[in-house]
Amino acid sequence: MRRIFAGVIMLILMSLVTYVLFFSGGLHPERAACGKNCSPAQWEQTKKALGYDKPAVVQWGEFLKGTVAGRTYPEDKALAKANPSLVSTCPAPCLGYSVVNTTNVSTEVKTAFPVSFSLAILAFIMWIVGGVFFGVIAALRRGTVVDRGIVGVSLIFYAFPTFWIGLFFLKFFAIQWQIFPVPSYVNLTDSPLAWLGNLVLPSLTLALIYMAGYVRMTRAFVLESFGEDYLRTARAKGLPNRRVLVKHSLRASLTPIVTMAGLDFGALVGGAIITESVFNYDGLGALAVDSVRTLDLPTIVGLVVVLAAFIILANIVVDILYAVIDPRVRLG
Amino acid sequence: MTHAASSPAPETVPQQRPSGQPFLSVRDLLVHFPTVDGVVKATDGLSFDLARGKTLGIVGESGSGKSVSSSTILGLQRGTRAIVKGEILLDGTDLLSISDEQMRLRRGRDVAMIFQDPLSAMHPYYTVGNQIGEAYMVHHDVSKKAARARAIEMLDRVGIPQPDRRVDDYPHQFSGGMRQRAMIAMGLINDPGLLIADEPTTALDVTVQAQILDLLQDLQREFNSAIIIITHDLGVVAEMADDVLVMYAGRCVEYGPTKEILTQPQMPYTWGLLSSVPDVAGDTESRLVPIPGNPPSLLNPPSGCAFHPRCAHLDKVPGNLCRTDLPDLTPATTGGNHVKRCHLVHPEDVWAKEVLPEIAPELAEQNQEPTA
Amino acid sequence: MANRKRMVAAIATTAVAAMTLAACGGGGSSSGGGKASSGGTLYYYVYKPYEHQDPQRTYLGVQISNDTRMIYRQLVAFPISTNPDVSNKPVADLATDTGTSSNGAKTWKFTLKSGQKWQDGSTITCADLKYGASRTFATDVITGGPNYILSYLDVPQDKSGLPIYTGPYKSSAAGQAAFDKAITCDGNTITYNFNKPWPDFPLAVASLHMMDPYKKSQDQGNKSNYAMFSSGPYKLQGTWSKEKGGTFVRNKYYKSTSALKKIRQANPDKIVFQVGNTAETIYDRLIADSGNDKYAVTSNIVPPAYYSRITGAVAKRSVNVKSPYVDYLVPNFNVLTNQKVRQALAESTDVKSWIDAGGGDKAYAPAKSIVNPAVNGYKANPTFADIPESGDPAAAKKLLQEAGVQTPYPITFQYPSSDTMDKQAAALKAGWDKAGFKTTLDGLGDTYYDVIQKPSDPASVIWGGWGADWPSAITVTPPLFDSRPNITKASNGQDYGNYKSDAFNKLVDQAQNASDLSAQTTALQEADAQLGTDVGYIPLEIQKFYFLYGSKVTGFTNTPASSMYPDLGSIGVSK
Repeated sequence: MRRIFAGVIMLILMSLVTYVLFFSGGLHPERAACGKNCSPAQWEQTKKALGYDKPAVVQWGEFLKGTVAGRTYPEDKALAKANPSLVSTCPAPCLGYSVVNTTNVSTEVKTAFPVSFSLAILAFIMWIVGGVFFGVIAALRRGTVVDRGIVGVSLIFYAFPTFWIGLFFLKFFAIQWQIFPVPSYVNLTDSPLAWLGNLVLPSLTLALIYMAGYVRMTRAFVLESFGEDYLRTARAKGLPNRRVLVKHSLRASLTPIVTMAGLDFGALVGGAIITESVFNYDGLGALAVDSVRTLDLPTIVGLVVVLAAFIILANIVVDILYAVIDPRVRLG
Repeated sequence: MTHAASSPAPETVPQQRPSGQPFLSVRDLLVHFPTVDGVVKATDGLSFDLARGKTLGIVGESGSGKSVSSSTILGLQRGTRAIVKGEILLDGTDLLSISDEQMRLRRGRDVAMIFQDPLSAMHPYYTVGNQIGEAYMVHHDVSKKAARARAIEMLDRVGIPQPDRRVDDYPHQFSGGMRQRAMIAMGLINDPGLLIADEPTTALDVTVQAQILDLLQDLQREFNSAIIIITHDLGVVAEMADDVLVMYAGRCVEYGPTKEILTQPQMPYTWGLLSSVPDVAGDTESRLVPIPGNPPSLLNPPSGCAFHPRCAHLDKVPGNLCRTDLPDLTPATTGGNHVKRCHLVHPEDVWAKEVLPEIAPELAEQNQEPTA
Repeated sequence: MANRKRMVAAIATTAVAAMTLAACGGGGSSSGGGKASSGGTLYYYVYKPYEHQDPQRTYLGVQISNDTRMIYRQLVAFPISTNPDVSNKPVADLATDTGTSSNGAKTWKFTLKSGQKWQDGSTITCADLKYGASRTFATDVITGGPNYILSYLDVPQDKSGLPIYTGPYKSSAAGQAAFDKAITCDGNTITYNFNKPWPDFPLAVASLHMMDPYKKSQDQGNKSNYAMFSSGPYKLQGTWSKEKGGTFVRNKYYKSTSALKKIRQANPDKIVFQVGNTAETIYDRLIADSGNDKYAVTSNIVPPAYYSRITGAVAKRSVNVKSPYVDYLVPNFNVLTNQKVRQALAESTDVKSWIDAGGGDKAYAPAKSIVNPAVNGYKANPTFADIPESGDPAAAKKLLQEAGVQTPYPITFQYPSSDTMDKQAAALKAGWDKAGFKTTLDGLGDTYYDVIQKPSDPASVIWGGWGADWPSAITVTPPLFDSRPNITKASNGQDYGNYKSDAFNKLVDQAQNASDLSAQTTALQEADAQLGTDVGYIPLEIQKFYFLYGSKVTGFTNTPASSMYPDLGSIGVSK
C-alpha cells in the first residue's frame, strides 16, 4: 500500500517533469500544425487553439484535473456551444487528447498496449527459457567448447544491433524463404495461431538480444552457487545431481534473474522501439517515437505516465516475487 | 592400547585394533588439483584408521589439507579435475573404486558430514524440516509426511525445543547453536557409520560449543558412529578425540593417541599449535606463542621438511637435512602408536627443556622433577 | 525525404523538357510496366503515417496527387501525362471548364457540372464548394493544410493581421457576412473574390485540395481528419488506420467519362494502402517480387544502399526521375555581411562531391536555381549558371582576397544531421576549406528548424530544401526570401538567412500584383536574378526519385501532376 502510494506520487511528479522539460526545450509543437506559410499571428492562434499558450505548470494542472474529472477537446466554450459535434469528450481518468492523432490518449494506449505486451511477453518467455537453459548448460560444461560456444554465440547476437537482426529475419525468413509471414499484428482473439505466427520473428529478435545477458547471468549465478556451502551440503546428503542443480542451485540463482527479468520486462513493454519499427508493429514504442517526432505532447505525457506506471508495477511484482522466492525477505 | 606394531612401514600407521579390519581405513590418500599454475598437492600420502565408536581429530592450520581429505572420503571431489589416488576402505569397500552412483548412494547414508558454518551450509530458501527430511527421503523410499515426522524426531533428538513447530522454520529463523543442532540432525538422520564434522563449533560462541560437543558425544554413544572431527582447536580435540592426526602441507606430521599428542608432542609444528592455544584455566604466566610465518603454499611446498622455514629448531639437526630431506613418519620415542615426522633425534628433550617451560611453566616443573 | 519532414511537406507539379531527359537508369522514360489494365488489387506501400487525410489539411505532394486520382475531385485537375506541356495545364473536373477570370484576375468564376455525386449518392453543390473553402479559416481546428486563401480571399483583417472570418464552426456575424461576400454561389456557379490578382489560381486549385468541396453534414472538425468522404472513383472501405493504412474500393456514384479518364483511369478494383514498413523492407519485398508484392508500388525511394541490387530484370521495373524538390544553402546575412565572401562561398561550393557523397547521380541532379526546372518559367540563375559543378576554388580564393578578409575565414555550416548528410557536409567543407575558408560543421537533430529560425542563430551557412506548391516560382522565392511576412523579432520564418532586400521585395510585389501570367513570370525571373546577385542562396541539387514496382503492375507512370511519384491515375495491375 505504501509502495502504491509512493508510485502514484512518482507518476504525478514524472508528468510534471515531462511538461516542464518539453517546454524548456524550446519546442514549438504548434509550428507544424500552423502549416507552411504561417504568419506570426496565425502561429499565435494555433498555439492557443492547441492549448500550448498556457504555462507548462497550468497545462500540467489541467492534465491532472483531467485524470480525475475528465476533459473535453477543444476546450473552447464558444466552439462547444456553436458546434457541439466538434467537441470530443475524454472521460476520467483522462490521459489527454491527441490532436495529432485525433483521438484520446487512453484509446491510443489501449490500441497499442496489446501489441507491445504480446511482443514483450513472448520475447520474455523465449529469452528466459533460452537464457536459463543455455546458461545452465554453459555452467555445467564450464570451460569446454560447449560453454564457449554458447557464450560466444549469445555475445554475437548481443553485439549486433537490434535492427540488423530484425531486418535479417525479415529479409530471409519472411521475404526470401517465406517460412514466416511478413509480420503484422493479429489480435489474439481473432486468431491465436496467426497471433503467434506473426509474433515469432519480432519476439525472437528481441529475445536474442536479451538472451545473451541472461545466458551469462544464469551461467555466472549457477557457477557461483556451485561454490556455496549449501550446495556442498546438498551433495553431501547424497542427492542426485539433477536435484542438486534444480532444487538447490537454480532456486538460488533464480532470485537475481527474476529481479532483472521483471524490470527488463517492464521496460520492454514500452521500449521495443526498434523492433516495433522494423517489423511495423504499432505498439507503445512506435507510438512513443511517433509522438516525439510530431511533438504530440498529450501522447508523450500519457505514455510517460502509463509506461512509468508499468515499470513501477513491475517493480512491485518483482518485490513480491522476491519475497516468495526468498523467505528471508519480508515485505515492508 | 597394544604395542603390537613394532616396525611400521614408513608411510603407514599402526592399526588401532589387533584383530580384524578397522571400520575406516585410509591408505596413502593423495589428492592433487591440476591448475594452470601447477599441481596443488592438497593431500599427499595420508593414512589413518578409525574404529566404530571412536573419534579421530584432524588438526592443522587452514590450507593444510584437512578439509580436502575429508571431502574426498565423501566423494565430493568427483566431477572435478582432482587427481585422487590411494584407498579409502569403509567397512572393507574402497570408496575410491566404486561408481559415482554407488558413491552417491553411500553419501549421507554411510558417511555423513556436518559443516563449519551452519548458516551458509543450509539452503536459505528451504525450511529446516524440508532440508533434513530431504536427506532422509533420498535414501529411504518414504512419503514426504514420513520424512517430516522423521525430521521432527531428529530435531527432538538433537534438543531443538518444540520440534514440530520449528520444523517449518527457515534456517535464518534459527540461532547459531540451533542451526548446528539441525545440521547434526541432518547428518545423523540416516544413522551413518561415519560422521565427519568439519569445524563443527568454530562459528559458535563458547557456551554453545560445549553443548554441541556434548551432543555429538551423546549421539556417538547412541549410534556407535565413528567420528572424524576436523578442527584447528586443540581444546575440541582434547575433549572429543581418541586419536589425533596433525596435518601440515598435505601430510601427516604427527599421529597418535590424544593424550600423548597433547602431553608428549614430538614435532615442532605440534608444539607450535599447542603454544598458540590460550589456556583458559591456566595461569597468567603462560605465554601465547603464535607460530611465526605463514602456512606453506600447496602449489610449491618447501623442500625437505615442509615446516622447516618456520621451525625454530633447525639448528638442532645436523647439516642441511631439514631443508633437503623429507623426514619419514617414524615411531615417536615414547613408543606405542605415536608417530611423528621430524629429523630431531631427541624431540622429547627439546619439548621438556625448551618448549614446555615457555608455554606452561607449571607443567614443566612437574615434569622435570622426576627426570632431574 | 526525411530531412524535410516538417516544413517541406508540400510540393509542386509540372515539368519541363528537362524532366524527361533526366530519366535515366530505368526504362529511359518515366513510364513502364506495359499497358494499363483494369481490375485486380493494387498494393501501395508507405513508410510514414499520413498526418491528415482531410482535403483541407493534406499538404503532402504524394497524398495530394493520390487523393486527386482516387477520392477527392477538384474544380480543375492536372491530367495524366508525362508531357509537361499537357500535364502542366489543368483540365475541367467538377467544373464545366477551367474557369474565367475578370477584374484583373481578382475575380474567378467556375460552373459546376450537374449531377456529380458524393459517395452517398447526394449531389455535389456550390454550397459544398463554398463550405470547403470556409474550413481553412478555422485555423484552430483545420490545421496543417495550405492556407493561401487566408491572404488572397477578400475578407478584411483584424489588427493582428488575421481574417475576421474564423471558419464555419464559430464566427462573428461580421466575419460570416464578409466571407459570404467573398465567395458567392449562384445556382451552380461559384465566384471567388480576391483582394489581389491571382492569375495562376487554377494552378493552385489543381495543385492542392484546399478549394475542394466538403459536405457540411459530414464535417466533425478534427474528428473528421481521417474520414475521407469521397467524390472520386474509389471510397474507403471501413476506416483509415493512421498506423496501418486502409483499403479503397470502387465508388459506384462516380461516373467516368472519356474526358475524366484523362485525369483518372481508375484501373484497379481495389487499392490497399499499407503504412509503416521501412524503405528497406519495402525494397526487399519489391526486389523479391513475390505474392502481393508483385502488385505493389511505393512512394518511398530506393535507399542508396540498395542501388547495387537494382540490376538485370529488377532494373526493368525501376524508374529514376527528377523530383520537384530543390536543396539549397543560404548564407546568413547577419553573419556573412560581405558580398564578396558570399560570392567566394558560392564559387567554392563543390556540388559534385556533395552529390557523390549523397548517393551519386541516381539520387541527385545538380541545380542551377532554387526554382525547380519543373516550374513554369524556369530559368537557370545567371549567377550560378557558369560555376563548375565541382566549384572553382581559385576564383573563390581571389574573391576572398578582394573582400579583404583574413584567411582562413572561419564559417559554420548548419544542417540536419544524418549519416548521409554528415558525409555530404564533410564533402562541402573540403571544397570550402580549399578556397580559404575554415569550416566548422554543425549537424543538428530534430529541432533543426527551431534553431535555424532564430534570428540570433550564429551559423554562417544553413541548409534548406523546398518544393513549389504549384508550378509557379511565386510559391518558391517569395515565401522563402520576402522579409516582410517572414522576419519578426522571434523568428525569421522561412527566411533562414535573414535576407532582407527592398529591391527583391519590390519585384515580389510586382509579381503578386501582376494580372497576367507572363508579367508575373518575368518579375519572378528578375527576383531570382536579384537573389543571385546578392547570393541570397546557393543552389545544390534536385533530388531524384528512384522507384521500383512489382512485376504485375501496369501503366506505371511518374508525371509532373503526381509530383513525380507513381501516378495512380494510370497504374493498374495485370492478372
